[in-house]
Amino acid sequence: MSPEFVIGLVIILIGTVASAFPRPKKYLVQLINLEIPAWGLLLVMLSYDEALALLTFGGVTALSTFIYVRVIQKKEAAA
Amino acid sequence: MNEIFAVIYGGLIVLGALATMVSRDPFNKLISLGLLVAGVMPFLSDRGLLDVLAATALIAPLSTIFVLMALGRDAREP
Amino acid sequence: MNGQEAALLVCGVIAIYAAIRVILEKNTMRKLPFLNVVSFAISGSIVLITPHPLAILAAAAYFVGSTFESNAIASTWAGGPKNE
Repeated sequence: MSPEFVIGLVIILIGTVASAFPRPKKYLVQLINLEIPAWGLLLVMLSYDEALALLTFGGVTALSTFIYVRVIQKKEAAA
Repeated sequence: MNEIFAVIYGGLIVLGALATMVSRDPFNKLISLGLLVAGVMPFLSDRGLLDVLAATALIAPLSTIFVLMALGRDAREP
Repeated sequence: MNGQEAALLVCGVIAIYAAIRVILEKNTMRKLPFLNVVSFAISGSIVLITPHPLAILAAAAYFVGSTFESNAIASTWAGGPKNE
């Protein structure tokens, strides 16, 4: 079992708990905490040596962050 | 990578994740997230995936700047 | 332990020390120079782990990216460009 796999699982666990129970209960804090399990999942995928999967996952993570930011901005403008 | 360096950079990753979870100010959270990203990069280099490393290193600040766009200037706690 | 591993160990120890300084620092602006120290150490260790010409390009990309990120955080914290 490679060290990337174990560290990735630990990071996914920490990030999921942090993202499910954000301390100041705001959307932005939850969005920042949501990036922790993304990096953990990247580490787990790294232990299987698939370069194309890693490239696609990194791009999609940034794109989904952008979409969530737009959603939060629209919701704060409507409120 | 032998065990000493795996422990050092893995400790960097876990330290960054715990600091991101604990801190309350969004700016401190983003700085700790940069610490986490810094710990991931040597593992990518150890596997020899240098193209993935270059792409990830350019995508990670982009993602931070997207979050900063929503943060604005009045979110700072004095 | 040959010379390359000793240099890598120095980079790792510097990274861990600066990370602990980042976490223990209270002021947000004083965290950013230590974050830059972490990224310098990581840029060095990327090249030392993989001695390959493309690794220099990847380390340069990470160096530029992390400096840009710190700059963006500091600029937003200080109020950003005034456009009014």
